[in-house]
Amino acid sequence: MLPIVGYTNKLTAEPGETVDVMVSSFGAKSYQADFRQIIQGDTNPDGPGYQDRKIEIDLGGERKAIAKPFRPGSCVVIPAHKTFAGIKDFTLAAVVKPSLLDGRRRSIIALPGFAEIGIDENDHLTGNFSDQMLVSTLRLSNEHWHIVSLSYDSAARQLTLSIAQDRDAASEPPRPEIVSLETDLQPCMATECLIAATRGTDGEMVDYLDGKIDRPAVFDRTIAPDVLRNLLADFSLLRRQRSLLGAWDFSRKMMTQVIRDISPYQLHGRIHNAPTRAMTGWLWKGQELDWKLRPDLYTAIHFHSTDMYDAGWDMDFSVTIPDKLKSGVYSVRLVPDGNEDDAYYCVFAVRPPRGKPSGNTVAFLFPTCSYMAYANHRLAMDVPGTEIGMGRAVELDRHHMFLQENPGIGFSVYETHDDEQGVFHSSRLRPIVDMQPKVKSFLGGFGSNIWQFNADTHILGWLDAIEQDYDVVTDEDMHEDGLRLLQRYNVILTGTHPEYYTRNMVEALQGFTDRGGRLMYLGGNGFYWVVSFNEDMPGIMECRRSEAGIRPWEPGHGQFYHGFTGEYGGLWRRNDHPPNHLCGVGMTSQGFDISEPYVLGPDASDPRAAFIFEGVEGPKIGEFGLAGGGAAGLEVDRADVAQGTPEHALVLASSERHTDIYLMTPEDILDPTPDWSGTQADIIRADLTFFETIGGGAVFSTGSIAWAGAMAWNGYDNEISKITENVLKRFDQETPFKPPQ
Amino acid sequence: MARYQISDSDLLFASEFLAEPIGYHSPGLQRVLNRMRGADWAFKYILVTEERHSKWRLAKLPIKRGSKVTLIEGVVYTDLLEAERDIFKRRWKDLTGQNVETLLSQSL
Repeated sequence: MLPIVGYTNKLTAEPGETVDVMVSSFGAKSYQADFRQIIQGDTNPDGPGYQDRKIEIDLGGERKAIAKPFRPGSCVVIPAHKTFAGIKDFTLAAVVKPSLLDGRRRSIIALPGFAEIGIDENDHLTGNFSDQMLVSTLRLSNEHWHIVSLSYDSAARQLTLSIAQDRDAASEPPRPEIVSLETDLQPCMATECLIAATRGTDGEMVDYLDGKIDRPAVFDRTIAPDVLRNLLADFSLLRRQRSLLGAWDFSRKMMTQVIRDISPYQLHGRIHNAPTRAMTGWLWKGQELDWKLRPDLYTAIHFHSTDMYDAGWDMDFSVTIPDKLKSGVYSVRLVPDGNEDDAYYCVFAVRPPRGKPSGNTVAFLFPTCSYMAYANHRLAMDVPGTEIGMGRAVELDRHHMFLQENPGIGFSVYETHDDEQGVFHSSRLRPIVDMQPKVKSFLGGFGSNIWQFNADTHILGWLDAIEQDYDVVTDEDMHEDGLRLLQRYNVILTGTHPEYYTRNMVEALQGFTDRGGRLMYLGGNGFYWVVSFNEDMPGIMECRRSEAGIRPWEPGHGQFYHGFTGEYGGLWRRNDHPPNHLCGVGMTSQGFDISEPYVLGPDASDPRAAFIFEGVEGPKIGEFGLAGGGAAGLEVDRADVAQGTPEHALVLASSERHTDIYLMTPEDILDPTPDWSGTQADIIRADLTFFETIGGGAVFSTGSIAWAGAMAWNGYDNEISKITENVLKRFDQETPFKPPQ
Repeated sequence: MARYQISDSDLLFASEFLAEPIGYHSPGLQRVLNRMRGADWAFKYILVTEERHSKWRLAKLPIKRGSKVTLIEGVVYTDLLEAERDIFKRRWKDLTGQNVETLLSQSL
């Protein structure tokens, strides 16, 4: 377990910038913080050894460790001030399609302390008014939309709850069930309207809904259920109703946190904890698949009790990055109760100054989008088949045990919510417990078994070992600053698995190589999925896995376009930026048991590649390593001209077989037959690839996540390390590369 | 419900696995492992890391997210391949009701 965890408010900061640190106790009484540069995070005794470097920055002395909770769950908050005060007659209404009915109370729309429509523990609709409650006979269903309302007629002293299940196929309008009782008027003191949650007695939000809500509305008189259905179906009619106090069209301001009221009262609100917008609504029947073309059909929000955007913990202290601190990967280390073995590392990058180049010509691209995609992932814990893909037993490290006990921390985009809807969002404004040095993983292969950040420290450690000066640039830096930042460098090195890319990032990197930059892609399955940032919500990322790709879920029919940007989600290969075009290779297979060597091919003897193999003997290279015992493995890429690999690219070496854990990617296996496996299909291989660009640049790609684990073998003294260094030294020279005539 | 059921005819694959738990497997052994490691279970045998790269404890992970991981008392490994072999034997027993080591010794 982890007695203390924390996070910073940013994953990249320049010298002079301040970083806030939020800490919570999960058993610790006190803690001390220090500042460390991360050199090499793998603790495998067969590896080069764990190494960090203490930086003398005064972060204060011992602090009390205060417990702070995770509060997941999304909703909409409409501050109403006094608009609802004094109402006598009213109707609350919404159209709702629950996605998880599991015996928990849920709220659909609430004026807290006054009136609420909800779902009880037995799936019946409830209408609460003061201390009175109406309950429907009908049970709600995950399969249908329901038009629901709660009305009060003060003259008749009648409270009425209505529910109509819209079964879609029927030719007649759904027939509502109506239940009523007589009760006295209560004064309305509500100062807000909540949608998909309500307030508990302590004021905290509770009873989050898992499901979709469309067009919630509040009126200052009773609306008959049959009239209500027609009103809700037509916003232009609805907004002209004199009785309307507020009606919220979720398709407005879709790419923001803002919720727009279409009534004249302008009771606009905001989403809380990033529920999923741009989702098919009550009136979507497949008429259009792109929400940008028919936003009126995408009027629903899908809420989840497990949504998490910002943990919102109070700041414990802040760190100002010293002006002279060189760019690199650092961490605020939190040591609980004097026990260094239980230390927690809040990792972030110190980037070079925005206004002044550092003078370094080499940069390591710190793949924060991919770290966020995998943030707190639970693959082998939640997905039973993961062990088959690993080809070995699941190891749970301490941070995994923490995740098991604290699902409220929020998920990665590899998980599903409790209703089995895919998780579209991942945020860095919460602890990311697997973005630490030392931690083990599921997918890292037999040996070190490390993944993403910790695996990337094999490259950081190697740069340190060869005494290479370098800057660290994060995905977010590249997304924001584009080529303006990248053009400072001769060479950019990627991490082991830079899988998730925004359009800005793909175009910046392509622009870099097109204009003479040199790219060293030291990983596998890179540049694969489209992701988006949200201009109104810093620190959160969206991924919708449409159509193809190895993926744990699909976004649902009609929901393939990102809500944050309107981009078509899925593979870059389907969005005219195939990884093969950028780096010569693209994802072809995966397996997480053992890795293999490459075997040099005829292209390795081409004089264009002579600099790469100076001092290296073949024909096998990389028959060793910390990630599965070989340099080619885990996730592997192939060169393929049909997918965009430049025709003049040299395929220097390839792996020649893999275990039958390695299968074909779904985007390539159009007709499944049982011969697409690692011992049978030649297409399942890692291709070591090199090519020049017409702008004088060059690209070297390993097409293998396991490459860096081989670099770190034998204290970085081996042929894979030598090849990588040969490439780096030549790539760092100004002399332009020339493609063959 | 998984279609494939492990039986005595898979004993040769048990021998193959126990000789080399990780790496290249015959199609027959892979099918046995797919049955053991797949989705058709109420809990999963997992290894709780006590000391990274040197000490693990056997435990059961229930299928429901957030459930308590139950440590199996007294089962500690200091070698991952030994852990693989032990888990294989336990799963064979769970799925067939029989002790694979006994069966293997009888088949010699």
